[in-house]
Amino acid sequence: MIEQSPALILIPPFLVAILVALVGFRYQKVCFPLTVLSLAGSVVACVVTLMRVIEGGTIRYFIAGWAPPFGIEFRIDGLNALVAVTVSSVGLLAAIYSKNRVPAENPDKVSQYYTLFLLLITGLLGMVITGDAFNLYVMLEVAALTSYALIAMGPKRATLAAYKYVIMGTIGASFYLLGVGYLYIKTGSLNMFDIHEVLKANDLFGSPAVLVAFIMITVGVWIKMAFFPLHAWLPNSYAYAPTTSSAILGPLVTKVMIYVMIRLTLTVFGVEYTFIQLEWSNIVVWMSVLAILAGSISALAQTDLRKMLAFLIIAEVGYMVGGVWLADETGMIGAIYHIIADAFMTLCVFLFAGILFAKTGKRDLSAMDGQFKKMPLTLVGFLVGAFSLIGIPPTAGFFSKWYLIQGGINSGHYEYVIALLISSLINAVLFFRMIEIAYFGVKPAEGHDHNHSSDHDSGRSEASASMLIPLLITAAILLLIGIFNKDLVAIITDFVSPFNIASGAR
Amino acid sequence: MSAVSDFPDWGDPHSPANSYRLSQGYITDTFPQTSVPNMVTAVLADYRGYDTMFETVVIFTAGIAIIGILRRYGPKDKVIPEQKLYKKEPDLIVETTCRLMIPIIQLFALYVVAHGHHSPGGGFQGGVIFGASFILLALARDLQAAQKWVPESRILKLAGTGIFIYAGFGFLCLLLGSNFLDYAILHKVMGVTPIEARSHSMLGVEIGVAFTVTAIMFSIYSNLASNGYMKEGL
Repeated sequence: MIEQSPALILIPPFLVAILVALVGFRYQKVCFPLTVLSLAGSVVACVVTLMRVIEGGTIRYFIAGWAPPFGIEFRIDGLNALVAVTVSSVGLLAAIYSKNRVPAENPDKVSQYYTLFLLLITGLLGMVITGDAFNLYVMLEVAALTSYALIAMGPKRATLAAYKYVIMGTIGASFYLLGVGYLYIKTGSLNMFDIHEVLKANDLFGSPAVLVAFIMITVGVWIKMAFFPLHAWLPNSYAYAPTTSSAILGPLVTKVMIYVMIRLTLTVFGVEYTFIQLEWSNIVVWMSVLAILAGSISALAQTDLRKMLAFLIIAEVGYMVGGVWLADETGMIGAIYHIIADAFMTLCVFLFAGILFAKTGKRDLSAMDGQFKKMPLTLVGFLVGAFSLIGIPPTAGFFSKWYLIQGGINSGHYEYVIALLISSLINAVLFFRMIEIAYFGVKPAEGHDHNHSSDHDSGRSEASASMLIPLLITAAILLLIGIFNKDLVAIITDFVSPFNIASGAR
Repeated sequence: MSAVSDFPDWGDPHSPANSYRLSQGYITDTFPQTSVPNMVTAVLADYRGYDTMFETVVIFTAGIAIIGILRRYGPKDKVIPEQKLYKKEPDLIVETTCRLMIPIIQLFALYVVAHGHHSPGGGFQGGVIFGASFILLALARDLQAAQKWVPESRILKLAGTGIFIYAGFGFLCLLLGSNFLDYAILHKVMGVTPIEARSHSMLGVEIGVAFTVTAIMFSIYSNLASNGYMKEGL
């Protein structure tokens, strides 16, 4: 069975999704345990695959036994395997968290919700492990359709936000598909590695059609990942979605799209074409600087907690796009590391936001009032996530920022370094403001009323176990990723170094 | 615009897409490898069967999403007043025409599904035609009449079963010790040569696709037409 591990990443959530749709309609109780079990199976398969990749290098798995370019293949190397482990474990944690929240938020539609939830994970995992450019589009559609629905199942305003997302997302996916079509016209192949071989063999890098394909694919992926000028769909969708939806979409969708961008630039178009022949690095890095600053400053203006976090995601996307386009090996390592770290830290803070909303029913920051007394353990989990977003050692966020900054200095993009530092400072302001509210309350001046109310509910009331445990596990993972950063970076370096991205000052 | 000038000529037999070994391989090897005369079906259901499986999942997702967003479960005891329910007097001409048409449409749909091997057609097209026959019934009579044939729970079962048939073929291959969706291994169960096993399995998965498409077509129609209450249609 072990050589089937790439297929087994995908099969459990996929089959169980349909099972949930069939059985869950009648027996609502089975949905949750089935979901958790299937995702646990997927996590195991991902870890086994990662181990195999570390031992034996790239795994190629031919679906239906047809060798590419005729059939579709899974092609799993260090990058895929790491991202797949991240995606499946974030999915598992969010699924555990969802136990009480889904019946509370969508009482009539539990089975539909879990079906869509599992299909979303299936789509994302499919995007990560595939080695075929068109198959990536199919999986993109699965993931996109499910995420539209998962957002629209929220309260009233979510539907409008989801509508905006449908329009933007469809445009992005169409751009991607057109780009793949252009590539097919010029090369006659759909397999990513095969396309690269043909481009190289026929010397098609000067062709305007390939250039247009590159632009279309890049812009399409940028729309999907909410890169700054194309980000308009994101904040409202994530802020108004059901809390479980935002806990799964926030960490994963944008990160997987960044993985797709890295995969396409490195594998399909190649380093020489993207970074050296086109000479766009400077422009894109400046765009990412804008994205980082705009995301951070908009986050500063928000009072709604989840909306603030959504704007932080936009800033983080800026980090990673910039890190990739620095055209520097250290920057690339930092960007890949940041995908993993950021998935977990976003999950951490979104889980906390969900818990807070479930406890208080309030969306804005005043919900933090006096929470240190009420649920200290939950707050500890949140603090780790917040420190990681700020970049305080030994959390994961510190090390990824370290590599990104080093990459910026190596390649001489000091504007990027400065933007990163400013954004970290803004994160510090944001989160310490929240911590202050949690410790001292909103209005310490109003002595009488406040004392009375705090006496009234000063007893400890932690979040329920199904919500608290995933939060604490996420926090622990963040610390572990931070402490064992050397091993992680070793895997990433093994993946990145064959591409010969320039390193050091030029 | 500049890219268009760079394209190969329209219908150029030597364009990269035509001359590359991918298309050449499909054209020369499809029949020997799969014994399916219709190349398009072979590419769709076998060479790139994994894509097609998830295209079916996209349709399934669309159906579930529509149910998830639109479906509303009103209070059970609430009965819509009689005059609000738009009761159509059965119209003789419409009624008779439908009675004649629907069986023919459904037969034709089955033909399209089954004949995908030899001529254009297959699961998606056949499923759409089959689904359309139910919609015609709902339009000619009312939604309740069509619901009698395909109530909501049956729709979900049909749609799920369809994908299960497809994924089941794939998973069975995996259990028998080959790669996911590698139909050739199924000759152990089917008692035919591996190449014929591919051909038969393709028919199987086409039927699965047809199930899903049929159910989802009608489900989307009835949810949209009845505002999610599934009580009265257009």
